[in-house]
Amino acid sequence: MVALSLGAATGRAADTDAEVTAHQSVLDLAGAFTNDGFKLRDGNYKGTLKAGESVLVQVNLYAGNQYWFSVAAAEPKSSVSINVYDESGKLMNSEAFTTTTAPATGATPALQPSADPYANKNRAAAGFAPDTSGPYYVRITETAGDAATFCLIYSYK
Amino acid sequence: MALAGLRAWAADGVPSQLPPDTLAKAVKQDDFTIPTAGELLAALNKVGKPNWQAQYRPPIPTAYTSRPQIALNLGGLIADGYIAVEAEDSQQVKNIGKDIMTLARTLGISENVLRRGRSIEDFAENNEWSTLKEELEATQNEVKLAMDEQHDEELTTLVTLGGWIRGTEAVSGWIATNYSGDAAKLLRQPAIVELLRMRLEGLPARTQEDPLVKGLDGRLKTLQDMVTFPPDQIPTQGDVKKINVAAADLITTITAKR
Repeated sequence: MVALSLGAATGRAADTDAEVTAHQSVLDLAGAFTNDGFKLRDGNYKGTLKAGESVLVQVNLYAGNQYWFSVAAAEPKSSVSINVYDESGKLMNSEAFTTTTAPATGATPALQPSADPYANKNRAAAGFAPDTSGPYYVRITETAGDAATFCLIYSYK
Repeated sequence: MALAGLRAWAADGVPSQLPPDTLAKAVKQDDFTIPTAGELLAALNKVGKPNWQAQYRPPIPTAYTSRPQIALNLGGLIADGYIAVEAEDSQQVKNIGKDIMTLARTLGISENVLRRGRSIEDFAENNEWSTLKEELEATQNEVKLAMDEQHDEELTTLVTLGGWIRGTEAVSGWIATNYSGDAAKLLRQPAIVELLRMRLEGLPARTQEDPLVKGLDGRLKTLQDMVTFPPDQIPTQGDVKKINVAAADLITTITAKR
């Protein structure tokens, strides 16, 4: 099932406590990428998913850049996964990174890949380097747990 | 497509193919879906060694009276900030930061934005180039937030649009004179212009009636056609020059005092 909504840059309500928690958690995760030279985009996408639901967010990427898409759910018992698709809807190969705890300071995310992206992990990241510039889609799925507020951000270099 | 509507699944339970109707309904959020000028410049750095100073432009006027024109030029100035950061030119960053604050003040924008301006100056003084890239986007988002608070939400689209056009002008300008196929392919940005045009269509009537805004869509459509090409196609040097001329013409119109 895909949860759908049209985001807008304007008229946002104040963040809920769950959104603040999810945002803080995902910033902690992305800090590892920042330590590896990635620039963090200031924008983020927040929403709520139930187990089995997904949401798809369009991004526009440039060939040659490397990207990390990071997501965190506010609820510790939730599990989230993240995948990247090209403009034709084809699943792209990406580097998986999931965790329930903050990576060690200064750690290179690529050195800590998760063997099982479907373990009970409320934070996940996908590393991707496009060969072609253009639109891509980031798919966030709550794989298990109660309804969860999540926050999605990305970094590039 | 015969298989449209069907979804293939990879071995680990993740669909290996999403149908077109699912893609069409994806969330498009301006501050996430539209990349910063900094991302485009970063990509160009991978395929060449641009002389970013050659992409500077003369200082633009900062005494506009039309709020849509101020918003478009704020976006353009933020893109100029990214160019100056790539050039690692602290004085240019500071000059642009001052112009951003001058334009922001004419919109009556809040103290938060002015604080960002002071941060830009401090980071430039200390040559903190990496931090500056994030600070420029944060400044842009602070400007947009202030616009929201002043019930000028429609202007946020114009800030994004101005930045995208100026970034495309600068990058296409460098590629046009230092042509390579890999660099030219970076100009493939069909979904960005499509989204920006969709946002323009959604602007309130009073903003759409602004003479400057009214003239934008037709020219954006032309630019959209130029940056829309198949993934495996390489624009020729002539194609790139046309993109540069179209973007530069738009910037000339946006900056002209009326």
